[in-house]
Amino acid sequence: MKTIGVIGILASALPAVAGAQGRPTLAFRGDAGFVWVRSDTAAAAAGGAVRLRGPVLGGEGRVVFNGFAVGVGLLSGTLQAADQTVKRDLIEGRLVVAAQPVPWLEMSVGPFVRAYVTDSVTERWVFWQARARVEAPIVTASLTSYVELWRALSSQVNLVAGAGRVQGGEAGVVYRPPQRPFWLRLAYRVDDAAVRVGGSQTLEEISVSVVVGAR
Amino acid sequence: MTRAFIVLTMSLLLGGAQVLRAQSARELLGQGVQKYQALEYDAAAALLEESLGRDSAAGLADSLRARALTYLGATELFRGQRDSAVATFRHLVLLNPRYRPDELIFPPQVTNLFQEVRRATRAIAVAVPPVTELRTRIERFTARVLTSSLADVTVTLAREDGTLMRQLYSGPVADSLLVSWDGLTAAGTAATDGRYLLQVTPRTPTADGPRARQVLLEVKQEPPDTLAWPPEPPFLPERTSSGPAFRSLAAGLVTGAAAVALPSIMAQGKDATGARFAVGAAVGIAGFVGFFAHKPRPLEANVRKNASQRDAWMKKLDGVKTENATRLRTMRLVVRAGPETFAERRSE
Repeated sequence: MKTIGVIGILASALPAVAGAQGRPTLAFRGDAGFVWVRSDTAAAAAGGAVRLRGPVLGGEGRVVFNGFAVGVGLLSGTLQAADQTVKRDLIEGRLVVAAQPVPWLEMSVGPFVRAYVTDSVTERWVFWQARARVEAPIVTASLTSYVELWRALSSQVNLVAGAGRVQGGEAGVVYRPPQRPFWLRLAYRVDDAAVRVGGSQTLEEISVSVVVGAR
Repeated sequence: MTRAFIVLTMSLLLGGAQVLRAQSARELLGQGVQKYQALEYDAAAALLEESLGRDSAAGLADSLRARALTYLGATELFRGQRDSAVATFRHLVLLNPRYRPDELIFPPQVTNLFQEVRRATRAIAVAVPPVTELRTRIERFTARVLTSSLADVTVTLAREDGTLMRQLYSGPVADSLLVSWDGLTAAGTAATDGRYLLQVTPRTPTADGPRARQVLLEVKQEPPDTLAWPPEPPFLPERTSSGPAFRSLAAGLVTGAAAVALPSIMAQGKDATGARFAVGAAVGIAGFVGFFAHKPRPLEANVRKNASQRDAWMKKLDGVKTENATRLRTMRLVVRAGPETFAERRSE
């Protein structure tokens, strides 16, 4: 509930902040990816490590203004085991407030919600993430590589064992075609969420994105 | 301080003595002329001889000396000492072959005797400025050759040891002749530092002919001022830097490596899929693309601009080089002339 409250507050503040900065710009990103999840938490370990995979679709909207940005993202897909005996829906939601003190560095913070949904139960993770993203141009203004690392400042999970360290990273390349209103991104990310009693859930994703609008 | 005082005092004393001596010779000349005009020839002769007997260096100048000899010759003539008068006039002609007694002052018997002696004496003299500064080829050192009567002479410039350096003139001189020297040797190069002899010799030396005269010239080269080369203009880079290419490559490779290494860093001990290699390879390839996109290449606009700048600079440089070469060819010489003396007869 607390997380949802924070998201609500930030979301409601978004138009006000954007309006205060004069000329905010909007950016929308659409993602298509493939996710691998490997879970060896105590709950899953009863039957051994669970390996799920499946395609996901996602998106993010951002308001950018004078080096600051506020964004909301969502990702969803259905994962299943290789033998199709286990099936879960993956849903991720994210709210981010970012600042870009220098052109090559973006720092952001915000809540992140991830849920694995089955017919009977929903496993929900909630983090507060602090992220740092470094960009390095490869071809000036058209091809940029980036590396982003993040760590949870606090984390919760509705498992009995409770959430432990949660961290992750992302690396990729962004291509901005000249004279085009969109740009493309190829990324790989890995998140590792540990539970207190041992074990963890590792999520990997490879995604291709199309972005329209500002960065 | 004491030494300087002594030197100064001695200089003043010596200088003062010379002035007194010169004045004395001049006074004697003046008194001798007065005695001549008063027809007191014996007294005049004595005074004039005394004035001429003074040390020639510190005594009368050449013009006054010629005047004294003229009055002495006239005095001797009127005293009936014709041989003595002839000897005096002969001395006068040798001193200055161009000298002529003033016909308004001296009666015809005096001037006639002088002309007779002058025609018989056949003297040569050479007059040069004490200091001449010249630029070789462009300017000239001049000397005036004087003869008492028509004479065939050769004017040469020789080294101090007698080696001929340049012949300046060869031919007749009726009264006077201006010869000039451009500061070059016979080989066309500037005369080097040293002592040279400007010699005027009769072309056919005879026992009763005029004696050769010479002037010692001290020649010193002074290097010409040359122009500084124009500074090289600031040229624009003609190729792009290789720095961006390597930065691009580094960015791609580092990011690709980061993608590959992410699971090892963030999810240690977990089996990661091969997806990271696909992204890592893609980013690495992007790095190579960036490397080749930023590969150093010619900047045509800069090349063209530099070419025009370089041409203009080279033209200026060539101009300065040409000017300097001209200046170096025209060495500046300072020629200091010594006293005129009789030249030693060369053994034939």
